[in-house]
Amino acid sequence: MTDEAVILTQALAKTYRNAEAVRALNLSVGRNRITAFLGRNGAGKSTTIKMLLGMLRPTSGSGTVIGWEITNAKENCELRRRVAYVAEDKPLYGYMTVEQTIRFASSFYPDWRKDMEKKLLKDYELPPERKVKTLSKGMRTKLALLLAFARRPNLLILDEPSEGLDPVGIEHLLQTLVAQSAEGVSIFFSSHQIDEVERIADQVCILEKGCLLVDASLDNLRQFYRRIDLVFPSAPSEREFRIAGVERIQAVSNRLSVFASKNAEAVIERAHDLNAVSVEVAPVGLRDIFLETVKER
Amino acid sequence: MLWYKAWLETRSRFLISLATLTLFSAIFVEHAQGLLRPEWKSDFNRLLFVNQQFLVIMWILSVVLLGMGGIVREKATGISSLTLALPVSRQRLVGVRVGVGVLEATILGVVPWIAVFFVSFFARKPISITQVASYVLLLLGGGIIYFALAVLVSSLVSGEYSAPAVAFGIVLLAAMLFDAWLRQLNVWRLVTGDLSINRSTYLLSEHLPWLGILCSMSAASLMVVASIIVVQRRQF
Repeated sequence: MTDEAVILTQALAKTYRNAEAVRALNLSVGRNRITAFLGRNGAGKSTTIKMLLGMLRPTSGSGTVIGWEITNAKENCELRRRVAYVAEDKPLYGYMTVEQTIRFASSFYPDWRKDMEKKLLKDYELPPERKVKTLSKGMRTKLALLLAFARRPNLLILDEPSEGLDPVGIEHLLQTLVAQSAEGVSIFFSSHQIDEVERIADQVCILEKGCLLVDASLDNLRQFYRRIDLVFPSAPSEREFRIAGVERIQAVSNRLSVFASKNAEAVIERAHDLNAVSVEVAPVGLRDIFLETVKER
Repeated sequence: MLWYKAWLETRSRFLISLATLTLFSAIFVEHAQGLLRPEWKSDFNRLLFVNQQFLVIMWILSVVLLGMGGIVREKATGISSLTLALPVSRQRLVGVRVGVGVLEATILGVVPWIAVFFVSFFARKPISITQVASYVLLLLGGGIIYFALAVLVSSLVSGEYSAPAVAFGIVLLAAMLFDAWLRQLNVWRLVTGDLSINRSTYLLSEHLPWLGILCSMSAASLMVVASIIVVQRRQF
């Protein structure tokens, strides 16, 4: 068991017939951090999470969650004792009432937080006697989150946690996630809501076509990613700017737009060497980083 | 609490089956008695034998439906990830479902015959407790294979209608095939008492077909083990 990582995978891969859903994934999710797992639909996020929880068998590679081997059935059962998971479609038993669902879930976790359960029942305004199948999508999401938060997990794995919530619910969720993190819970969540990620994440992982393309702290992303717009007297050669850290170059007549993950200074220096008439450097938000990263290459 | 979940999942099917089987048996025995003549000594026993035939059909229908569901069906309805995220082995998931199902199947076999026993008693046609016990034993010991078959089919087929259709198809096909070629090994005939009834007295023989019951129970155990292996290997 490593002290640093709650999730650690080595060359984890999953292939469905001929389709590679996850390719040689080397993922390291830090303890006591909020890590966002971003990617387009079908990028392999849910497949990765299902492999971590033993629902899918990896085609190759290995991994640990809180030190337990994910491919060992007994160890995976142990890790599930310490990990709370909220799936994308917020599955719940429709034939149970809210109260029965809570009673059922709490029976598996000796550390169940009754105080948290009561608080969230009140905050979320969940009716204990109502059958789950009669709840709205937002209410179901809130109940699924309550079950995850109240069981005192070491690690929270959330797949699209804010889906179905109204703005008030989303705000409450983000605050709860930050509070849980402050209490020492590691959080690994996938989301398509970049604004939410920017607000709470410490670390960002971007997956595209099963490959991990970005794994960096949000601070580092903000510090190093730059868009550099250049204007030259005549059309410049793109090749001049193919240097380390340059992710993408867009050329339109005598203008170049360079997207760099690092080394922005070297790009600027090269631009001056090539007599650029205008050099504009702008920091890049996470939305642009994500869009540039997952663009067809 | 997995027991509680399994109970909540099956309670409607179970309670409807229990009421149907019990009421049918009691009413059948009570009303059919009116058709009997006092001099027909063995006819009341024959009535009980006929009751067992009907009971077997309804009991098999009920236990096959009770055997449906489980984690494969949950995957089809999109809730399997909730169950699979629990700190519980898949072996235990299947085991608890089978345990609850066997208990319900037992109640479905015992209660209707208890009702028949009391109806006969109050109609002044008391029947031997040994005969009742023998019918129940044949029904449960021989018939549990039908429940195990349903559990196995539900581990392989996820459809809400296709799984029971496949299970009932196998039950009927097996009954027909065994009747045509291996009559003495036909579980259906074992369960109804057809293989151990005395045709003149219509009483069940004191020598029950223990070997048949043992074979049926062993096959049922193998089917449950096969279901566990299928679920353990399955990807969700």
